[in-house]
Amino acid sequence: MSTAHLIAVGSSPLGKTDLPGRDLFSKALAEAFEGLPDPADVVDGLYVGAQSERYENQIMQGTLMAEWAGLRNVPAERVEACAAAGALALKNAVRDVRAGVHDAVLACGVEKMTAGGTEGATNALGAAFERALEQRSGITAPATYALLARRYLHETDATERDLAKIAVKNHQNAVANPRAMFQQAVDIETAMDAPDVAPPLKLYDCAPVTDGAAAVVVANDEVAADLQSRPDTVRVAGVGSAANNLAVAERDLTFVEGANVAASTAYEDAGVDAADIDVAEVHDAFTVCEALLAEAAEFAPKGRGIETVEDPEDRSAGWTDVQINTSGGLKARGHPIGATGLLQAVEAYEQLTGRAGERQVADADTALLINEGGVADAHTVAHVLTAQ
Amino acid sequence: MTEESDSPMTDTDSTTTGPLVPEDITADSPFTLPGFFAALAEGRLVAARCTECDTHLLPPRPACYGCGSRAVTLSEQPRTGEVISYTSVNRPPSAFDHLAPITVAVVELDSSARLTGRVDASLEDVTIGDRVELQVRDPETVDIDPDFGLSYEEEWPIHVFELI
Repeated sequence: MSTAHLIAVGSSPLGKTDLPGRDLFSKALAEAFEGLPDPADVVDGLYVGAQSERYENQIMQGTLMAEWAGLRNVPAERVEACAAAGALALKNAVRDVRAGVHDAVLACGVEKMTAGGTEGATNALGAAFERALEQRSGITAPATYALLARRYLHETDATERDLAKIAVKNHQNAVANPRAMFQQAVDIETAMDAPDVAPPLKLYDCAPVTDGAAAVVVANDEVAADLQSRPDTVRVAGVGSAANNLAVAERDLTFVEGANVAASTAYEDAGVDAADIDVAEVHDAFTVCEALLAEAAEFAPKGRGIETVEDPEDRSAGWTDVQINTSGGLKARGHPIGATGLLQAVEAYEQLTGRAGERQVADADTALLINEGGVADAHTVAHVLTAQ
Repeated sequence: MTEESDSPMTDTDSTTTGPLVPEDITADSPFTLPGFFAALAEGRLVAARCTECDTHLLPPRPACYGCGSRAVTLSEQPRTGEVISYTSVNRPPSAFDHLAPITVAVVELDSSARLTGRVDASLEDVTIGDRVELQVRDPETVDIDPDFGLSYEEEWPIHVFELI
């Protein structure tokens, strides 16, 4: 089996932009290939994560992105698992490189979420939930996560203020991230006083609607050695994924079992355990997810994930010293659905190669990424990345 | 889950496996959505129950997500249960605009089967543990934009919970 490396990363501006999806992709691709040969001379396959054709009335995104990258007559496929699409693109690229199917593959993701306004995004995202009983009851993404949050607050000692602290921490992290949609801090009172979206979730508990794209190049040992003049590639050491229930009613409301399976599989694949993880990008589409995923990744005991917002030295025994969502997470970096899993990889790449600037975690050499789609872990993809 | 049960679950199917051959997958069978909603329109809420691990599957499906078994049987569900979690949809999908804010809940029926549904009450009147009863409404009486429904959904009833 070949080793898969991340050899280059790029992202577009994140937020409400004047560029359509394909042009956002061009931005991400241009950054990723700065100083490299043309994409057609490097990669021989492409996966693109894209949540919905409703935003731009465009499917066939694999073909489109391949054309815009100058790739012709190579496998180029769109993958879909709602917000887990980006990591699914990465997973497929890694699988192909590991298996020797391709020497190098482009994994990218794109979403133009603002094209239809808030109403368009609400309707497009609604398709991620179970149709027969749940969509037909009028639920939305915030509502399904509010059902998790309400039960989590009921079963644990966590409070709405504890959830708000997760948003405050992620906004603080984003201040030092030039890629972030919101490079600004938010104080706890602002978060607590914000309008309800779906109680107990308020505005700052929810990731924003974001336009954006990201692209990463996954390559085998030979391509990585050819193209990198310094030893700063990142190894994709572990991969795991799992599907869980689609309907929120039928799932465990306070434990994301599928995410636990995906993370455990990735740990095992990489030969690491939770205590080895220095930095983690986990899917905080809503604040409660970060708490649930800290538990699923075994950074914290069950029901106590909220304590990972504290600095490592202030945590109790039984918690690891991981730093979570140094990028600002989905909440503050932004959440362009199909690109999010790859934006997580971009942050891990920067942390593991010492390029994270003021948000650099000292001696970071192992990272976990958890990307989810549907309600909570309806679909989870986890990756473990290591510095060389 | 509560101890009392005024409408206990009963298995309605004497067989102990779900549909295993293609011929059994028909629009008359509650193992398909048309069959499930036809029963609901007549006032019967039907789940599948796994005879191996007792997981309830709502709507019914041919295999148990809990244990993987296809030894599932149809089981008529009680209409009463309790609120496990709840929230309010302040900005619903556009087809539901006229109903906003929509109170929704995850309800655990007295059989232990769970489903999500609207609650015909304002958010402040609902809390975890509240007893509710399932009501079935004709889609034409519910103020949802008809364009929301797919062609095959037109006759399917809409369920809603009322506090009891």
